[in-house]
Amino acid sequence: MIELYQIFTLATVLGAASMWLMLPRGGSGGAMRQRWLGALLGAVALGLLASRFPGIGSVVTESVFFILAGVTVVGAAAAVTFRNPLYCALWFGLSLMGSAGLLLFIGAQFLAVATVAVYAGAILVTFIFVLMLAQPEGKAAYDRTSWEALVSVATGSVIVGILSMTVSSVLTAAQRSGELQAAAAESLAQRVLAKQHTALLGAELFGRHLVAVEVAGVLLTAALIGAAVIVAQTNKREISE
Amino acid sequence: MYSEVALLQNYLVVGALLFGIGMIGFLSRRNMIVMFLAAEMMLQGVSLSLVAWSRFHNDFGGQMLVIFIIAVAACEAAIVLALVLMLFRRTGNLDVAVWGELREDNQLPFEEPQLPEPPTEPSEPWPTLTTAGVEPKLKPEQTDYRPNV
Repeated sequence: MIELYQIFTLATVLGAASMWLMLPRGGSGGAMRQRWLGALLGAVALGLLASRFPGIGSVVTESVFFILAGVTVVGAAAAVTFRNPLYCALWFGLSLMGSAGLLLFIGAQFLAVATVAVYAGAILVTFIFVLMLAQPEGKAAYDRTSWEALVSVATGSVIVGILSMTVSSVLTAAQRSGELQAAAAESLAQRVLAKQHTALLGAELFGRHLVAVEVAGVLLTAALIGAAVIVAQTNKREISE
Repeated sequence: MYSEVALLQNYLVVGALLFGIGMIGFLSRRNMIVMFLAAEMMLQGVSLSLVAWSRFHNDFGGQMLVIFIIAVAACEAAIVLALVLMLFRRTGNLDVAVWGELREDNQLPFEEPQLPEPPTEPSEPWPTLTTAGVEPKLKPEQTDYRPNV
């Protein structure tokens, strides 16, 4: 058990160092070399973390999981650390694809498709549209600096370290003592992993959660009208000036 | 046949990583759009954890919550991008530090660090030719053309 903590601590420290090296900090000389060093450290940290992941099945399923998880996490790290915001948006799209794959891997078919359609299809395109509109020439001085890179990296990595250590140790202990019982495969195949997964999901959504669906619809309408009003007011002010 | 507890544990760790990376980005980046992108990344991390728990307990509750998270994220994106566009029209850039005047009275103002200029690539040496012949007449659209507008 002590060994697990040591490895997780080491992985967290290495990951924090790699994020700090990769974040834009305003330097010019050797910035590229620092980023490569950061990427190397990050790969070592992810490898350490992956070495402590418990096995989930055959070699094929495990390698599929590790590829998807790697795409997700590496895409996320790159999206946060690249200087050019357009590259940030594109890497974020890759990370979304990875997490949609992870959702599909775990059997949430509808959510995987919804993630691709809503996030990668709608939200990301709107991001890129606004970026192109506002910053067509790309690099700006404020993209080459960060607020307090060290403190924010420390905050994020402490959260990740504590969460992953707690999750691993609590789940392992609970499984060992027999306290934690996963749903049996037969009942899973009846419900969450059923062939009619989306139909069951829809029945649940429009049955038990019907009021919440109505509220979400009202929220979407309000957001639509709100966005239109905000933009229209800006236009009116510019015309009157 | 998967080991369900191991699957849950792996997904929770990946979700924590996504959340943490998004948090680092939200706290440290200065471009408003990149900050918002990092916030979406944090939502993704939470969604992964919720779906993993949903599978573990064989209950659709977690997936329901993720559907509503996606709906709220879409609303959020519309509002935030409208606001960012408005702020951009006021100041001409996407930097959050510009809005430092909204700080409290007892806070120090933000001082822009003096940045060294990024290394620019040396421009390509063009060949120099001696002028010869009659000077060609340019069309007005050729002289008025501005590549950077």
